Amino acid sequence: MAKNLALISRELFYFSSALLLAFIILEIIWPNIILSYLNLNYLFVFAVLTGSIYLIKK
Amino acid sequence: MLKPFLRKWPFLFKFRLFLGLIFFILILFFLYLKVIPFGNITYSRDYVLDLRSGKGFIYGFTPSERIDLKSGDGPRMIGDPIYFSLFTPRTFDKAKLTITYRDNLGLDTSVIESGVLADNIVWRYELKPIDNKALDYLMLRWHKSEGNGYLFLQRNEDYSSPAEWEKDLAQGELKACADGLEKCLAVYNFSPNYNYQITNYQPSVPLVLDKPLRGSHQFFVYLKNETLHLEFSLVDLNQDLKPAPIDIILSSGDKIITRQALADANPQPGSGKTEEKRVILEQKDLPAGVYKVEVKITNDMVIKKIVSSVDHLSFINKVWPVSNEGPLTIYTDANYLQAKALNPASLQTLKFAGRDFKLDEAYKQFYFKTDSLAKDKEIKLVKDDIVLENNGVFAWSSSSLFNPTLPKVDRFFSVNNKFNYIIADYKKPIEEEGVKTATAEFNLKGIYRENGKYSFIISVPGLKTEDGTDDNLEIYKIKIELEGRTLWQKIWH
Repeated sequence: MAKNLALISRELFYFSSALLLAFIILEIIWPNIILSYLNLNYLFVFAVLTGSIYLIKK
Repeated sequence: MLKPFLRKWPFLFKFRLFLGLIFFILILFFLYLKVIPFGNITYSRDYVLDLRSGKGFIYGFTPSERIDLKSGDGPRMIGDPIYFSLFTPRTFDKAKLTITYRDNLGLDTSVIESGVLADNIVWRYELKPIDNKALDYLMLRWHKSEGNGYLFLQRNEDYSSPAEWEKDLAQGELKACADGLEKCLAVYNFSPNYNYQITNYQPSVPLVLDKPLRGSHQFFVYLKNETLHLEFSLVDLNQDLKPAPIDIILSSGDKIITRQALADANPQPGSGKTEEKRVILEQKDLPAGVYKVEVKITNDMVIKKIVSSVDHLSFINKVWPVSNEGPLTIYTDANYLQAKALNPASLQTLKFAGRDFKLDEAYKQFYFKTDSLAKDKEIKLVKDDIVLENNGVFAWSSSSLFNPTLPKVDRFFSVNNKFNYIIADYKKPIEEEGVKTATAEFNLKGIYRENGKYSFIISVPGLKTEDGTDDNLEIYKIKIELEGRTLWQKIWH
């Protein structure tokens, strides 16, 4: 169970970090295209949270 | 067949594939919202709920001192005007603004308008009606006809159809209009097809206006079988860093006849060294009638002198004299005057239609009203550098003063006036339990857009923060439907 949680949280951490990076790049190219719809802080918190779970459960 | 094959895939692979798909779908989704390939999108902001996951597209109202965010369910507009901007990821051709509001306004603030910033040099907003209480009142009491794209109201049923009325208007002979059109016809957001003529017009003598005026100005000229020759001497003050282009436009109705533009290379930005410029505008064989001249310049420029071949010349709605010399007399046809001193040295007691009015605070808009029945009212300034505005015209002599525009159903309009006809491009807002919803459509082609934002205004003329009343306009929701070219039209056309 703990192993699965670590695996899932690791994958979610990779996913959210990649998504955050992609959104930041899009935001740099076309300002406000993402921020108008979504506050990237939420995604950042999600990435930190999944990363922390992975580190704890590893 | 596919199922056993998928079953062989390890969990990690399937999970990564799933997340990868979500990743690409999300990226494509935001790219779709950036491109808006079908050309239509709606942005809205609900000020009552105001739950947003992002910044949103409709930004907050400014300036903050004209907005009360605490007292009501939605923001309350307590001073005129307020502004908001709309971020769009691309350009659009049309916008339909829908505003939901509660109108807690008095009778002296009977008009609500909204607009989009069309020109950032002269700071001109393209205004459209939202609510007009005088029209709402008369629509219930007068004979109303709608069609041909406008609203036609008549006190008595003199005409069976607007088409019949239009026919008489084109000939300048309306029924029950013996005292002239300007005494019996009022308009709102509509320019009827009529040709203004000055009776007993005497040929012009050249006119020299050597009272400097700061910033953009517009004026009417009237001529009959004459050549229009206008010479402008302009001064670039170079007090700011921006270039100061000059654009002088001669138009008749909605048609531009000619224009003279002069770009500014801006060799000395912010230096304070003045640069003199000269523009000549000449047009021969113009039919008799009224023409409008628009001098589009920034506030960093001064119109030092105008030499005109015609002497019927009246400035429209605004003058900003800056001669820095002694007493100055200006004439206007309107019964009210807005005055603002942008320099503490210009504070004074001015005379308007024989009455004294105190202008005792800089940067504050003062409103002066007179009941004078005189056609031309005199404004006597002790010193200038004061922005004077109203809904009429201004001139330096009463002989130059003429106003070809028809009376407007604006906030000064009284339903007891003796008008017989009103023509307007206006739709009454829908009202439900005191909450009103109104729409206004704007053409966004060529409209000023900065950093991906269109700038909007909401105006309630006469609404003041400092008048001690609790008049306000409570705004609940703003929705903007945008329409533009599709991706295919952009690629192939």
